[in-house]
Amino acid sequence: MAAPVLEVKNLSVDYVVGAGTFHALSEVSFEIEPGRVLGIVGETGSGKSTLAHSIPRLLPEPPAKIRSGEILFRGIDTLKLEKWQLPRIRGTGVSMVFQEPLNSLNPAYRIFDQIAEAVRIRQLRETGKMPGILPAGEPFDYSKRDPPKASDVITKPLVPSLPSKRLRTILRADKSMRREVLEYLRLVRINDPETILTLYPHELSGGMRQRIMIAIALSGRPSLLIADEPTSALDITIQAQVLTLMKELMSEVRTSILFISHDLGVIAEMADDVGVMYAGHLVEFGPLEDVYENPRHPYTKALLRAVPNRYKTDGSLPSLRGTVPNLSRIPSGCPFHPRCPLAKPVCSKDPGPALLPAEGSRVRGHLAACYFSKDVEALP
Amino acid sequence: MTEALVETIDLEKHFPLTPSLSDTLARREKRVIHAVDGVSLQVRRGETLGLIGESGSGKTTLGWVIARLYEPTRGRILFSGKDITHLEGRELLAWRRQVQVVFQDPIGSLDPRMRVWQIVGEPLLAQGKLSRAELRAKVSEVLPTVGLPAGSIDLYPHEFSGGGRQRLSLARALSLRPKLIILDEPTSALDVAVQAQILNRLVDLQSRFGFSYLMISHNVAAVRFVADRVAVMYLGKIAEAGPVRGVLERPLHPYTKALLAALPVPDARRRAMRYRVSGEVPTLINPPPGCRFAGRCPFVIDRCREEEPLLRVLPGIPDQWVACHRAEEVGEIPPEELLGEMPTLPGSPRSESGNSRPSESTVAG
Repeated sequence: MAAPVLEVKNLSVDYVVGAGTFHALSEVSFEIEPGRVLGIVGETGSGKSTLAHSIPRLLPEPPAKIRSGEILFRGIDTLKLEKWQLPRIRGTGVSMVFQEPLNSLNPAYRIFDQIAEAVRIRQLRETGKMPGILPAGEPFDYSKRDPPKASDVITKPLVPSLPSKRLRTILRADKSMRREVLEYLRLVRINDPETILTLYPHELSGGMRQRIMIAIALSGRPSLLIADEPTSALDITIQAQVLTLMKELMSEVRTSILFISHDLGVIAEMADDVGVMYAGHLVEFGPLEDVYENPRHPYTKALLRAVPNRYKTDGSLPSLRGTVPNLSRIPSGCPFHPRCPLAKPVCSKDPGPALLPAEGSRVRGHLAACYFSKDVEALP
Repeated sequence: MTEALVETIDLEKHFPLTPSLSDTLARREKRVIHAVDGVSLQVRRGETLGLIGESGSGKTTLGWVIARLYEPTRGRILFSGKDITHLEGRELLAWRRQVQVVFQDPIGSLDPRMRVWQIVGEPLLAQGKLSRAELRAKVSEVLPTVGLPAGSIDLYPHEFSGGGRQRLSLARALSLRPKLIILDEPTSALDVAVQAQILNRLVDLQSRFGFSYLMISHNVAAVRFVADRVAVMYLGKIAEAGPVRGVLERPLHPYTKALLAALPVPDARRRAMRYRVSGEVPTLINPPPGCRFAGRCPFVIDRCREEEPLLRVLPGIPDQWVACHRAEEVGEIPPEELLGEMPTLPGSPRSESGNSRPSESTVAG
């Protein structure tokens, strides 16, 4: 099997703010195999978005502080990269689709300029005019590189800013660029792409904007696409359209995807593997079918059972008592133990078994951070 | 049949757009948003009517009109048989005691500078003179009914979690023991685990106090659990209405079918079941004649674009109203056939080019 695209090892992230230290991620480990879709599901405040943003190092540091861990993207530890080296992995390595497309698209630029910018950066990197593309397999020596001189940055910027007016005029006149941008718009099934090119983001509907975001993300030909709640702001029929589109694209483009959502249904639709997060901990990890049909962590079971799936004449919904803990005061041991129906004295001391692959195997399989996994099945 | 608590008759709410200077100069036709366009429905005593629809379908506007927070453009609202469409002044205030609203945004609808007893007690104060001690006593009686500790009456809204704030909104609506509570997206800001708690609480309160609910939501799963009857709204009109099991298990309107098929189900075995309706929700500004769903409907025939379908019942399916010319045929398609693409009925011209997929091109290279 090929090496995983992304390996996250024991990642812990804190937010240090005036009110205290919030442990957003605690010892999270997982990997994504090439071409697979990993779904991360959890409630508000479980650390899903922190995880998504920490991979391309988009977290604002401070207040965020990466306490420990490694994020190996195609073998490169992104946590060891200097700030000036980060653009090398963003866009053409890891690209992102965010929740709210209106906040992620620039309102002052036409759709063409925004897609063309991403395409141009990729082209510059591919032709070696700008550092960026990471050749597969080639070891990346991030320690020995000298930081660029000031003069280099002026003549060859690491990240070109949005195209200047002159450059935009040149790009617009460039027939091959136009063809390529149109191709990406068609890829995301946009009707009448010629007209859309000349519009501004506010002139498009939510579903269209999210398609544009996906087009921009894919135009960098990334090895990993991170989708952070990409359909949560959309209406349900539009969500179905965008999810169908993403599924079709998965088979066409073959990018690995980290798909983050609070919606168990959306994850069921999209993911091959699923990780369940609770209070910054990854509590269960495994192939989708195994996790959904045979959950091994009491929290996963409770979460799946809380989805309303009946009429009121069928009796009340099983619900979890208590609330999600405050991230500055995560309970000791297993974070779920105060709410857990299976809790035993050991649970308040020991955080549960680490989600590690079996001895001699690289594949994780279905794992849960709970000593009493066997009793979960008997839970109501 | 139980008696209707609220009945709307041909209710309309239009929002005229301010014409721009060029519109005025060119003497263009006035543009009007038809947010609610001829809605007749009933909420019966002690039952929940679920109102489902996507954003822009006019469901919140309808709720606001029923609560008399918006003045209806046309139509009538009957409450316990009495016309309340044009109540004013004291009469309106007295009527308000019976109708309360839980607003959509639990953060925006709670004043951050008021304490819990002030927030929950505000409707009580509006309805009658109470001393501070009486008010506090009443509020601490109400709080446990929604699952909040009575000791929290001196807290501020920001000290609650999302679920706690929603309970607070609910307590405020309950404080007057109204007959009708309009729940506007009561759980859309909540996580599933908290949502289950709130939904259970809603059902429990209803069985204890006999409230009627008008539950407005885009979340079909939540509505299914709380509602006795549902109405599906699309672009200001009721597309389908009836008993919850009937509408959700045997939908007769293509839009209801589309909505249900688009629902992501947390079941690993039922993947790849969705089909899509193409296109987006069109604008409510000066809608064209005919069926509002015609532009996206896979069953569309010429008649749909010319003649507006009226709500009717099909023979053999009483109490389920549907506004579709082809409801008989649509209803016959079994739910299993919804897996995959929407089936095409004979007689509906559906060219491939009209679909939302112009080409299957892949990225070069």
